[in-house]
Amino acid sequence: MRGSTPLGKVIGYGSAKDGAGHWWVQRVTAVALVPLTIWFLLSMASLPLADHAAVTGWMRQSLHAVPLAVLILTLCWHARLGVQVVLEDYVHHHALKITSLLLSTFVHALVAATGVFAVLRIAFAA
Amino acid sequence: MAEFQLPPGSRISNDGKTFKAPEGAKKVRRFQIYRFDPDSGQNPRVDTYEIDMAACGPMVLDALIKIKNEIDPTLSFRRSCREGICGSCAMNIDGSNTLACIKSCADVKGADVRIYPLPHMPVIKDLIPDLTQFYAQYAAVKPWLTTRSPAPPDGERLQSKEDQEKIDGPSACILCACCSTSCPSYWWNSDRYLGPAALLAAYRWIVDSRDDSTGERLDALEDPFRLYRCHTIMNCTEACPKDLNPARAIGEIKRLIAGRRH
Repeated sequence: MRGSTPLGKVIGYGSAKDGAGHWWVQRVTAVALVPLTIWFLLSMASLPLADHAAVTGWMRQSLHAVPLAVLILTLCWHARLGVQVVLEDYVHHHALKITSLLLSTFVHALVAATGVFAVLRIAFAA
Repeated sequence: MAEFQLPPGSRISNDGKTFKAPEGAKKVRRFQIYRFDPDSGQNPRVDTYEIDMAACGPMVLDALIKIKNEIDPTLSFRRSCREGICGSCAMNIDGSNTLACIKSCADVKGADVRIYPLPHMPVIKDLIPDLTQFYAQYAAVKPWLTTRSPAPPDGERLQSKEDQEKIDGPSACILCACCSTSCPSYWWNSDRYLGPAALLAAYRWIVDSRDDSTGERLDALEDPFRLYRCHTIMNCTEACPKDLNPARAIGEIKRLIAGRRH
């Protein structure tokens, strides 16, 4: 931490001029998740979930596959931003913070890619 | 990591003393008060003072002054105006940060009145926290008018009634630190998060119609730690003994920063 006086310590290296984008995207994804989640839960409630063929048949329709992929991407993006806030709040050791942020980003990207790949694979299956 | 346990030297020991009420006391109430003396080399403790409320003023500060004057002169606390305008006697009473001078003992619901210093601050002695960093954070937001336009040659810089009303609320802040020290984000990250009191002060100058550096003020706040550690849990607004709303001011700052991007 920079600074030898109390004021110098508070000022540190100055403002990062960042954070507004994160704050805004977290809200945009939150708003998008409201209709997407309601749609998803209603669809699942109306499907015979024990019937594998019925569920994959539902996913195969473009009208369902596209919003499902969007839901997965939005959810992962929103979760990644949320986890970042938690890590920044509680992890103070700098190297540990950077490492956990990096890991979190990779895990969320992996989950998003796997989810979208699964949807596409079912949607494009013959 | 955030620390969820106090360092060994700060943990409260069981060595608290009890000062009994005098014979013939009519209305006895127990005050449990945090005591810490850095010169003693001992851990903090909680002392219990039995006070005859029939012979004591109604406010918590009255009881503290009675204790210091009549029972235990070693008890240390800050106080000055005794009418909620100086902000000196901010402390944690019955689990909430407030001013001892305007907190009535009768409003404390439990049997005992528990009094601790403001949470998560370095303690100088007993109920006196070290507010050096808190004041530096206030200074960091440049809490003064900055202008580039010259003042009218024949008088002061005028403001409409509506513009004045925008700063009436935030400029009533007495810097008692009740809000900032009630905020978990401030507890974990006060080295980088400015805290609700400093942000309320920043907002007071951001919305001042006479100030010419609104953009620079927003620039200085746009930071993941300085501003965006606030997650709007509103402990600050809940704690404020002056009924101000720092959480709303912080929300407005975020709204202004988001607004200028589009």
